Amino acid sequence: MVSRAERAPHPMRESGMFTAGLRHRVGRFLLIGIPLAILVIWTTLPILWAVLSSLKESLEIYESNTLLPANPNLDGYRTVLAMRGFDSWLFNSFLVTVVATIVPLVLSIFAAYGFARYAFRFRHILLLLYLVPRIIPRVSLIVPLNSLMSDLGLINTYWVLFITYTASAIPLSTWILVGFFAAIPKEIEESATMDGANMWHRLRRVILPIAWPGVVTAAVLCIREAWNEFAFVLALINETSMRTLPYQLYMLKDSMGVQDYAVYNAFTVLTVLPLLVVYLLLERRVVESIVSGAVK
Amino acid sequence: MSTPLVELHELRKSFGPLEVLHGIELAIEQHAFVVLVGPSGCGKSTLLRMIAGLESVTSGTIVMDGRVVNRVPAKDRGIAMVFQSYALYPHMTVRENLSFSLEMAKTPRDVKQERIESAAGILYLDALLERFPAQLSGGQRQRVAMGRALVREPELFLFDEPLSNLDAKLRVEMRAEIKALHQRLRSTTIYVTHDQVEAMTMADLVVVMNDGRIEQLGPPLELYDRPATVFVADFLGSPAMNLIAGTVAESEAGPVIDAGDDLTLPLSPGSAVRPGAEVVYGLRPEHLRIGDGPAGLAATVSLVEPAGFETHLHADVGGQVVRVISTERLDAVPGDSIALVPDTARVHLFDSRTGARL
Ligand SMILES: Nc1ncnc2c1ncn2[C@@H]1O[C@H](COP(=O)(O)OP(=O)(O)OP(=O)(O)O)[C@@H](O)[C@H]1O
Ligand SMILES: [Mg+2]
Repeated sequence: MVSRAERAPHPMRESGMFTAGLRHRVGRFLLIGIPLAILVIWTTLPILWAVLSSLKESLEIYESNTLLPANPNLDGYRTVLAMRGFDSWLFNSFLVTVVATIVPLVLSIFAAYGFARYAFRFRHILLLLYLVPRIIPRVSLIVPLNSLMSDLGLINTYWVLFITYTASAIPLSTWILVGFFAAIPKEIEESATMDGANMWHRLRRVILPIAWPGVVTAAVLCIREAWNEFAFVLALINETSMRTLPYQLYMLKDSMGVQDYAVYNAFTVLTVLPLLVVYLLLERRVVESIVSGAVK
Repeated sequence: MSTPLVELHELRKSFGPLEVLHGIELAIEQHAFVVLVGPSGCGKSTLLRMIAGLESVTSGTIVMDGRVVNRVPAKDRGIAMVFQSYALYPHMTVRENLSFSLEMAKTPRDVKQERIESAAGILYLDALLERFPAQLSGGQRQRVAMGRALVREPELFLFDEPLSNLDAKLRVEMRAEIKALHQRLRSTTIYVTHDQVEAMTMADLVVVMNDGRIEQLGPPLELYDRPATVFVADFLGSPAMNLIAGTVAESEAGPVIDAGDDLTLPLSPGSAVRPGAEVVYGLRPEHLRIGDGPAGLAATVSLVEPAGFETHLHADVGGQVVRVISTERLDAVPGDSIALVPDTARVHLFDSRTGARL
């Protein structure tokens, strides 16, 4: 694949245009560079603070105001990894996230295809109703959900998390995918039909590859939703071994007499880290597919 | 002649309450190159898409190879179609674009290879096989779209305005290429265009459509020489035929047309017309000669367009603008007075109420 960026001629090479080029560059810096820098600082500073705090000694945070740890060490991480149950919390988070990403993604791919390609009665109103679960505040769902799930005998099972997480992820990913699918010209799919492709082939060989950035975006959002979810797991799980990482992170606050911020932040970093890795990997894929000109 | 490959009987199409095709009757012979032509919105694409199976049939039948195919899904009709927007698969290389249909048909690898190579050879795509559509020029994309149809070796090719996204020069080139391709492969082709030049130059059979109906069909020159209606007369030919409304009157030399404002248009002496009839008098621009003497219609030149081989002229005749084509180099300038001599043997007369040829 040829990167198209390489072929773009540099607009400001001619010598006479030097000042214009300079002005252009200063303008660009003011308009794009500064806001971007502020945004980067705004988003990374808390994470940086958490990472640095996780490297401090137990009580250091109460004693000094410096950002950098006086005596960087990994004791916080050791404590976290040695916690009884850490591996099951990690596993729970992992399992729930995988299921609550794949299932909603598959379901919403079909739903979005239907919404994007078929004109049926009440199509519009149905698509709007899809959003209702996301408009209702999650907290208000907790009590009814808890009593419903108790009656079903699902409290403290993986099923309860699979079901609630999947249900809350579907509207989001469907909406994203409807947009991406609808943007694909109808004629491309029609020409696949003329080429002898049935609906399944069209979806798998034509629609999904073209809408791949949309699928990845939806996947990332599903992953994030499930991995960070807190309210449902708090309401529907009460067995220690069934907790997820965010739940345990919350429990950490009470379980330690004096707040051990090093341990607390180490836990936070370990919770965020897998998500960060997933983000970076998937984001690269999306950018690659856009840059290669495969998707127009 | 053998049985037609495609037959349309009483074919109608409605979108909701709006009927856009009003009973199309058409038979397309094996190996024919049929061009559907007509103004924008007359239903050409809709008709083509119904034949393809992309649009449902409201009523009537589509018969292919003697079998009614109304309910056969598009993917099973074995028809190849080239879209105006080309509709290439943007995420596939040219090679993958060409092989997609063969994969769907589970064609053996060696046959697939051979078909792709042969199509690429015919269409000069050999050097482009590993590129993506985004890395091709408009003309190259157009060729890929044709190649994609070609590899399937279909019985029937459908084209929906395949050249309208190309610049004028490329359009003329591709027109010739498509025609040459058809002469070589002899695959039955239905070609939609709103460009009457494409229709005239490419077709064995031209089907002129207007407002959801077939206005006239026949070989291009037959339509050009004997248009059945005013619409066809006006639509085919560029510059368009001169059409002047008038009334049949008598003179010593036989019947003439009184077009008002002291404008009297001559007819050939033998014309069988009823005096007093309201008619439209049609004469192609190339059938008006610029006279040497004062004989003929007095006219004032209003516009001169030298086009190289020929010269196009607009002249004012009794308040009507008349188009004239002359193959002589003219030194006329706007404002000049000239005399125009109609070739009365080439006059077309139409009923001014029904538009039908008299
Ligand atoms: N999906 C549709 N829904 C409703 N009306 C439609 C639809 N498709 C086409 N039409 C109408 O049917 C008529 C014929 O359309 P069609 O696209 O066949 O015209 P066309 O002859 O191909 O014109 P053009 O030369 O502009 O492509 C038009 O009046 C159009 O508005
Ligand atoms: Mg059309």
